[in-house]
Amino acid sequence: MKTTKKTNKPWTLYHANLRTKTLVIISISSILLISIFLSSYLIKPDSIITNFTSANQMPSLEHLFGTDWMGRDMFTRTISGLGLSIGVGAFASLISTFIAIVLGLFSSFNKFTDELVAGIIDLFSSIPHILLIILVSISFGGGFYGVIMGVGLTHWTPLARVLRAEIKKIKTSKYVKLSKEFGKSKLWIAKNHMLPLVISQIIVGVILMFPHAIMHEASITFLGFGLSPHQPAIGIILAESMNYLTSGFWWLAFYPGLSLLLVVLIFDLIGENINKLLNPQSAQT
Amino acid sequence: MKLNIKHTIITVAIILIIIVAAASYFGNSKDTNPTHLVVTSTGHMEEPKSGFNSLTGWGCGHLNFNPLIQSTLLTSDANGNMINDLATGYNISSDGLKWSVNIRNDVKFSNNDSLKANDVAFTFNTAKTSNSQLDMSNLDHATAIDEDTVEFTLKEAQSSFIYNLRYVGIVPEKDYNNETYGSNPIGSGPYKLKQWDKGQQAIFEFNDNYYGKKPYFTQITMLFPDESSVLELAKSSQADVVQSPITGLNQTIKGYHLVNLPAGRAQGISLPYINDTGLKTADGNPIGNNVTSDIAIRKALNIGLNRQEIVDNVYHKFGSPEYSGVDSRDYGNSNATISDNNIEEAKKTLDEAGWVDTNGDGIREKNGQNASFKLYYSSEDQARQSLATVVSEQAKELGINIELQGTDWDTIYKNMFSSAATMQQTSSDPYKSVYLQYHSKEAIDEDYMNPNSYNNTEVDSLLDKAKNSTNQNQSNEYYKQAALISSNSGFGPAGDAPWLWVATYDHCYFVKDDIDMGDVPKNMGQDFLQNICDWKRTNTTT
Repeated sequence: MKTTKKTNKPWTLYHANLRTKTLVIISISSILLISIFLSSYLIKPDSIITNFTSANQMPSLEHLFGTDWMGRDMFTRTISGLGLSIGVGAFASLISTFIAIVLGLFSSFNKFTDELVAGIIDLFSSIPHILLIILVSISFGGGFYGVIMGVGLTHWTPLARVLRAEIKKIKTSKYVKLSKEFGKSKLWIAKNHMLPLVISQIIVGVILMFPHAIMHEASITFLGFGLSPHQPAIGIILAESMNYLTSGFWWLAFYPGLSLLLVVLIFDLIGENINKLLNPQSAQT
Repeated sequence: MKLNIKHTIITVAIILIIIVAAASYFGNSKDTNPTHLVVTSTGHMEEPKSGFNSLTGWGCGHLNFNPLIQSTLLTSDANGNMINDLATGYNISSDGLKWSVNIRNDVKFSNNDSLKANDVAFTFNTAKTSNSQLDMSNLDHATAIDEDTVEFTLKEAQSSFIYNLRYVGIVPEKDYNNETYGSNPIGSGPYKLKQWDKGQQAIFEFNDNYYGKKPYFTQITMLFPDESSVLELAKSSQADVVQSPITGLNQTIKGYHLVNLPAGRAQGISLPYINDTGLKTADGNPIGNNVTSDIAIRKALNIGLNRQEIVDNVYHKFGSPEYSGVDSRDYGNSNATISDNNIEEAKKTLDEAGWVDTNGDGIREKNGQNASFKLYYSSEDQARQSLATVVSEQAKELGINIELQGTDWDTIYKNMFSSAATMQQTSSDPYKSVYLQYHSKEAIDEDYMNPNSYNNTEVDSLLDKAKNSTNQNQSNEYYKQAALISSNSGFGPAGDAPWLWVATYDHCYFVKDDIDMGDVPKNMGQDFLQNICDWKRTNTTT
């Protein structure tokens, strides 16, 4: 009796199985990210106003992340900066996924298209990534639009490479050959045989693309491309804070930097846990 | 064995510590000579790309300051009045077209050649054709009458020509080469260039041939740091005079005191004066703005703005409210100012002009046009960034939406004809600060003079009269009148209000406590080295 009672103990995180744990981690992280993203949209530009009487204040209960040189609340600036980053990341993932899927499936048509796709992927990955982003964003006229396009149009290469390899493997399988024998079109095979099999790769790839896109958005705004210095973007906040490190205003760099790191890590966590769910065999390793 | 490793680690650690300590002790060897001065030069006085050539902008043109290496015909006394330097006197013909200047006959360049009238004539004739920001278009030619008399022939009378005599440094005619002079300058000023490490610093040493008062400082090192790292030089005690960026104004640095020198540096916002009719500049940049072309918008902004609050907050009280861009000059018109911070009056002006918020979004509209315009500012300049930010916040209270665009100067120069831009006026020469700024003939060309295409024929004719007047006082009177002709004419805020001038911003320096700067000439704060020959170090033991 005693032993059964023990096993019937109410559910706790510790005793939960791996699947439940993974689900819990995914949902908590997602809620956190979604709340950051949504709250950044609830912040009106009017609420980030200057107040010179409270400039350069240390973090306090009133200003969680302190204030900057114009007395603007760093917490609100950081959150809206993160919101922008996540938005750019989401957009970049969307475009990249679309490009990667199209190129991946296109590569399955014949040898020539396969070589072509491989060539395009190599071409894009041969240019240093930051440089490519800067080039693309300038050619799109710079500004906010330039940043989005620059980050969005340059992140598809790793996913496209994975998809192409995966599709090559599937192509050699018997049922694909069978479908061919039955006279199914290449598009039909791509749609009904290949796409369903690479879906899990795509989902994981997309989520793991977020951290890259976010880091790159922060990098190019840090370098001063695109956005104006009064706009709250994580890169701009960090670049601005560099001027004040010598004055001892550490909180200007510390909290925004930490928040960026956290967001990136959370995305990573979600991606890895979803990977565990979709590819259970990899969960044990 | 374990003990061995431990010992090795400890030894390595000790050696490392000794190396670091020794490097920081010996590597930081400081110049302890009290007669050596270290100053920084940033912002508008940044490192001259074409070298220390007064004909390509060193000392005159965009910003006027003591060129150190060259000397000028006239100079300023402690009250800011112009007095003789190289010149011993000058005469102006009754029609104002001929200026004859007598010069000293005992002056030698740093290479021991004598400075003669032909060098002066050469300098001005070359400056006229050099592609710099010196505007000598009114000079027909300069000729040396004899060894110590030079005669300037003007195309039209221009009393403000005296500012050219004041600021253009004289270069030697012999062996002058426009390409190489900048890095090997020869002049008759108190210092000569000893060394120029491009991108870092220039070292000047005393010129033994200098004819004036012998300066206390025998060597001046001018550092060219980034504005963002300039305060570091004061905090580590590496420089004697450091130009403070706007973010340093509320800081205290041990061993230094903050000196603010007024300079009539007016900062404000240009508001496009004409409608957008599809007109374009020669380079294809659009001209005109349908919101700021409405006088009600410009007046409301001028009346509703709380300038004093901006001076107190943005400039940390190191400045004063500015209304016409030239308030602090002799030719500034105190009647052309308005009483600002009057939000009710500003709102009334907008209401009466038909700008009403009908859709409740807080922004006024008129005939379907939102009261919204873009304001460009240089993203490198924190003073202008905070100015733009605060102005846009204050404008929102009036129901005017100012959309900020922080960017580089190339982009600003493309957009300044059709959008507002934060600008600065530093010149004491009324020809530059008023005539070129507000005369319609300067509108719709590709430079930053009169970027907002202001045009008013009454103002034009007064400006022409002022420019061509042979008498400087009379000229100043005309300039004053042009600021306010009537309540709806004149370049001041009480007239046409083509600009939203906000504040004059003093030049602020962190100066080492043992430096005695003497009497710095009034209202010339950009030129802090003007009276360098009067500077001293009071504590000579360091």
